Amino acid sequence: MDKFSFKDVLILFAGLFLTGIFGWLILSITGHVPSEIAKLFFEGAFIGTRNLTNTLNAATPLILTAVATVVSFRVGMFNIGVNGSMYIGALYAAWAGYRFTTLSHFTHVSVCILIAIITGALWMLLPALLKVYAGVSEIITTIMLNFVAILFVSYMCNGPFRASPIAPSTPRILETAELKQYFPNSQFHTGFFIAVFVSILFYFILNKTTFGYELRSGGDGLVGFYPSRYSTYLGIPSDRSAIIGMLISGGLGGLAGAVEVLGSVRNFYQELFFNQGFDGILIAIIGKLEPIGGMISALFYGAMKNGGLYVDYKTDVSREIVVILISILIFFVSAQKIVKGLEKFEFVKRLDKLFSRKVR
Amino acid sequence: MEWLEIFDVSLFRSVLRSTTPIALIGFGAAMCSAAGVLNIGLEGKMLNAAFVGIAASFYSGSALVGFISGVSAGVLTSLLFGLLSFKLGADEVLAGLAINIFAIAGTRYLLETLFERRGFFSDPSIKGIEPIHFDFLEGSRFELILSGFTPSVYFVFFLAIFLYYVYYHTRLGTSIRATGENPEAAEDAGINTVRIKWLTVIFSGVLAGIGGTFLSIENMTLFTEGMSAGKGYIGLVASSFGANTPLGTFGASMFFGLGDAIGIRLQGVYELDSRLVLMIPYALTVVVLILIGVRQRFRVRKVPIEKN
Repeated sequence: MDKFSFKDVLILFAGLFLTGIFGWLILSITGHVPSEIAKLFFEGAFIGTRNLTNTLNAATPLILTAVATVVSFRVGMFNIGVNGSMYIGALYAAWAGYRFTTLSHFTHVSVCILIAIITGALWMLLPALLKVYAGVSEIITTIMLNFVAILFVSYMCNGPFRASPIAPSTPRILETAELKQYFPNSQFHTGFFIAVFVSILFYFILNKTTFGYELRSGGDGLVGFYPSRYSTYLGIPSDRSAIIGMLISGGLGGLAGAVEVLGSVRNFYQELFFNQGFDGILIAIIGKLEPIGGMISALFYGAMKNGGLYVDYKTDVSREIVVILISILIFFVSAQKIVKGLEKFEFVKRLDKLFSRKVR
Repeated sequence: MEWLEIFDVSLFRSVLRSTTPIALIGFGAAMCSAAGVLNIGLEGKMLNAAFVGIAASFYSGSALVGFISGVSAGVLTSLLFGLLSFKLGADEVLAGLAINIFAIAGTRYLLETLFERRGFFSDPSIKGIEPIHFDFLEGSRFELILSGFTPSVYFVFFLAIFLYYVYYHTRLGTSIRATGENPEAAEDAGINTVRIKWLTVIFSGVLAGIGGTFLSIENMTLFTEGMSAGKGYIGLVASSFGANTPLGTFGASMFFGLGDAIGIRLQGVYELDSRLVLMIPYALTVVVLILIGVRQRFRVRKVPIEKN
């Protein structure tokens, strides 16, 4: 099976172009000047140290949630619950951040991150078991657990983990648990490097190791992406790899939450709002379900998001425009028949042969 | 037995009101699932319909225009879903997810651009759909139980019986079931499975439209961000719990409605933490999913492989 073929890239750019036209239309209809908005958008995403580091900071959790989604989708589990894992991981990272007082910097950060990974992974245990042993759709289970997670963390930081009677939040994490921020007026922190490391690590695990091969071939596969029902015939324990893949996915979701709390916000409060788990799904699809592709499209999405915030701040255009445009892009990218239809053209076929890379 | 006091007429009425949107979505989901379509996008269809319904009612000052626009919005979103998954070969789940995310962001964007509000929208000039009062029940003991609901509540009961008839006693119902159970065999028997799938998806769009307008201009005249609040998914679970049959889905929806209503009442009586009460419908869904799992586990028996 070839991946990163030329026609996929072509589709992506064609999709981006069409999405741009849609964006132009939406902005024109709602009475704005698209060219000015686009200029502000670009400025907010890339111009100046502050904007650039903010873009990288916005991309940090997105890279992790995208890799989490990639892992689960590649084992054939539609994990929609990364957002829930992220909430749980963030809550427990914040708890560990103020609870353990005698640890050194490195150990404390490691303990917090480890606890977040474990709790995030455990949150995904129930859907994984239900799917594998009883055939209950993991999609619905994980979606429902997202709702439960939000209300659960909100209850916990109001009740057991509440610091003061005034504000519904946990105490601030200790200095030993903080991830270092490098620039004034930007929350860019060490978590970014962790995220990049994780995505490269999972590129190697998924593509270059036996364990990764077992994971990949374990799932029954998505219809449009990696259909593979043969793993059971090869003697690979597909049940086990489905559960492990789901746990890894949840753990990475927890890590994303931990990185946000330890690096950016520094405590867990009731109004803390995560949407990166859902964004991660879109990003992973744009990145063709590859960890590195996920990282690149997470950086792209981070730029879009940060640019959107800047536009929201400077003008009266809502930041939601970014999510609207991304979901329109998904409509184009996920339409497999368009990709197949391109094969009719001779030049696409020829370029495809030049650029594709056989993987399996 | 103090807690028994919450079981009274007003709880019954509240159960019926909570059941209605879940059952509407559930019937749509049941028909789609019976035809083998996993329709995750119902949540987004409902949200779009809720927003378009209230916007149309606000601008036209007529509840009927609001209702028709809302249902059309639900159908249009369904057409988008069908176009993506049946015509363009997108994965059903991805198409559904993209639609849901699109609906949440899109309604929020329009809420801010059209009405310049964040969070929620309510205005005295929005006309809601009025409840129906039966004159012949006036004064009788049934008035409290049966009279004064909005039209959708009665429609749901009608729909349950109607769908039961269609599902089991018509050619169409058989075709739908055949499409879901064995598409190849259905094709061989001369059933156009793609057309059946389109039909069920559009039907579910109509129901999601009615459900959406029920939320925004019928039960209340108010729109809040993400007001469908997972009802689309709960409807899916209800249809799955009811084994994709009309009456089973209706029963399961009633169960969810009961949980919802009891939670609201308990909050009044016992001053429970509001977050725990809000969690009830979702936690109940997870419990039901576990029950479905147990049921499937016991139903599917493994065939022992004979040793030579």
